[in-house]
Amino acid sequence: MTDARKSQGDKLSEAEAIERAKQGDEEAFEALYRLHKRRVYSLCLRMTANTATAEDLTQEAFLQLFRKIGTFRGESAFSTWLHRMAVNVVLMQLRKKGLPLISLEETMETEEESPKKEPGAEDVRLAGSINRIQLEQAIGDLPPGYRMVFLLHDVEGYEHNEIAEMVGCSIGNSKSQLHKARMKLRELLKTSRAAKATQP
Amino acid sequence: MQRRQRVAKLVVGVFLAGTVVAAAETHQEFRFRVHRRASVSVANQFGPIWVKPSSGKEVIVTAVLHSDKVEVDHTHSFNRVSIVSHLLSGADAESGRVEYQVLVPADANVTLISATGPLRAERLHGDVILEGNTANVDVRDLSGGHVHIKTLNGPVTLTNVTDGHVEITSVGGDVALNAVNGPLIHVNSTSGRIVYDGDFGGGGEYSLMTHTGDIEATAPSYASIDVMASSTQGKVENDFLLQPTHASFAAKAGTAFAGTMGKAASSVRLLSFSGKIHLKKR
Amino acid sequence: MTCEEFRRVLPELEGDQHTVEQDEHLKDCSSCSGLISDLRAISAEARLLAGDQEPSPRVWNAIAIALRQEGLIRDPQAPALLSGSRLRDWRFGWLRPVTIALVAGAALLLVVERVPRRTQVAQQVATSSAPILKTAVGITQDSAINADELQLLNLVASRAPALRAGYESDLRAVNAYIRDAETSVRENPNDAIAQQYLMNAYEQRAMVYEMAINRALP
Repeated sequence: MTDARKSQGDKLSEAEAIERAKQGDEEAFEALYRLHKRRVYSLCLRMTANTATAEDLTQEAFLQLFRKIGTFRGESAFSTWLHRMAVNVVLMQLRKKGLPLISLEETMETEEESPKKEPGAEDVRLAGSINRIQLEQAIGDLPPGYRMVFLLHDVEGYEHNEIAEMVGCSIGNSKSQLHKARMKLRELLKTSRAAKATQP
Repeated sequence: MQRRQRVAKLVVGVFLAGTVVAAAETHQEFRFRVHRRASVSVANQFGPIWVKPSSGKEVIVTAVLHSDKVEVDHTHSFNRVSIVSHLLSGADAESGRVEYQVLVPADANVTLISATGPLRAERLHGDVILEGNTANVDVRDLSGGHVHIKTLNGPVTLTNVTDGHVEITSVGGDVALNAVNGPLIHVNSTSGRIVYDGDFGGGGEYSLMTHTGDIEATAPSYASIDVMASSTQGKVENDFLLQPTHASFAAKAGTAFAGTMGKAASSVRLLSFSGKIHLKKR
Repeated sequence: MTCEEFRRVLPELEGDQHTVEQDEHLKDCSSCSGLISDLRAISAEARLLAGDQEPSPRVWNAIAIALRQEGLIRDPQAPALLSGSRLRDWRFGWLRPVTIALVAGAALLLVVERVPRRTQVAQQVATSSAPILKTAVGITQDSAINADELQLLNLVASRAPALRAGYESDLRAVNAYIRDAETSVRENPNDAIAQQYLMNAYEQRAMVYEMAINRALP
């Protein structure tokens, strides 16, 4: 009987699970958790680079969501709502750790401050040679503000207007942060590749 | 230019706010040089204690005191380190709160005591003793040592504890064991729910007993166990096909079952006086 | 268009949407076209990272425990109609007291029904049904706090008043455990399981005493 109930839980659509979770149905909570756990956890893990902390933040994000699920009316997509909570939880964690969480606006570099790239110089292309492990490492080396926007846009697939709403910045700022994150990653990947090439 | 000024003001504001908050808190750090299998104990009435392995032969204690109504007393005697949060007159759960992060050599024997917790220990292979009142107890990635946990009503979660000698006593706190195996795994609960998800491996002795709580044990089809389950006043369910054994044990449909699977390497007892028991197949 | 001009607008470019001018520049400039190609490759590779990590089972366990403790998970057998949030949504709020009365009546019927069932169980394991029935009553009576325990609770209250209620509740629970276990051993003196229950029950009480004495002290 339990297996039948379990498979019934698997077949729950998100909308059904939300309604049943509002009534306190444990299987519905679990179904929602299973649907979204990987995305939330992956985001937390890449932001904190620590499995234990990422699990704690995942737990906290879901708990906050489930506590408020009675107020969810479907104005936005459920996953967006959940990710917004996960982002808030991560940002609070970064603040608690004393990381310099300056306003995202502040991370806009001026033309003078950004890494100089001479246009017209020859570049060896990365396309076709990006190593996933190196990319993960490079993402881990990004400043928190860049990393957050990059993860939400390029990894999780959110649009800039959604990111702006989640993170609390302007759309223009989100685009700028994303571009800078990609440029920084490009620089890190090339450096990594160059270092590897010089190894005996 | 105006925008930059606004932004600068925002940053200054955030910084000042952080400073004001930080001013009420005191950060302290203590370092102690120890040898193999040091003994480290931390007693903290209010607040979390988190223990992780350090890289050297040092015990590093970082404490955040929430007010001046509590102080940290510490003693270091050869290979024994003791940290106690000393509550001063007028201290309560908020003002007496201290947050500890403790780094110890991985082979250290650790004792953590807290009323409210949470208590957390990870990646150690010495003996670990945790005592909490309502503290949330979280233990993960331990191997080889003894793990003793006592709690009145705090939930207990063990994850990836291998080759362990584990004894948990809980009055009302739920106990969750994920990937826990070893020569001895004993859980004794009055009303707390016990959930086990693992393989009952290691040729060990597994005993999950409760008075009124439910027991839910999930094991793979390849588990090698000699299992006995009984609920005097509750119901039992079993998803496995067991080889009959235990001629002296009276199996009663719905209230008790017994049998073996595989080579019956591990002994498993699931006993609840009046709760439900379910042995589930993963 | 120069490279600097192109790179200045780069953050605003979405996908392959370029102006004619920008396309022309890319055809002629290997540096900028290389840059675009690299950034696209990074973006494409990043997409493969989405949701590729799995948290350990302990995360759900901890969530489930917390939800249960906070009362957000409700037992399907529990009177869901008594849930405040559901009744707030329910238009006919006047039915609440009626529902409570009906559920209370059902609960009473259930208790009355269980007494004979307990008697039946007692007949399977004992010669007389009286001890179990007595236990059913005894749980209520004997799990009350005795004088020694009252003294202990007063000690706790004198040091940490907020802890008293919790300790009292725990003592009642373990006393009920001890009573059930003692009854079981009396009826089945050779039953190893019954003996184990009794030992466990005493161990639980010893733990509550120890923690009450130790924790209540400053």
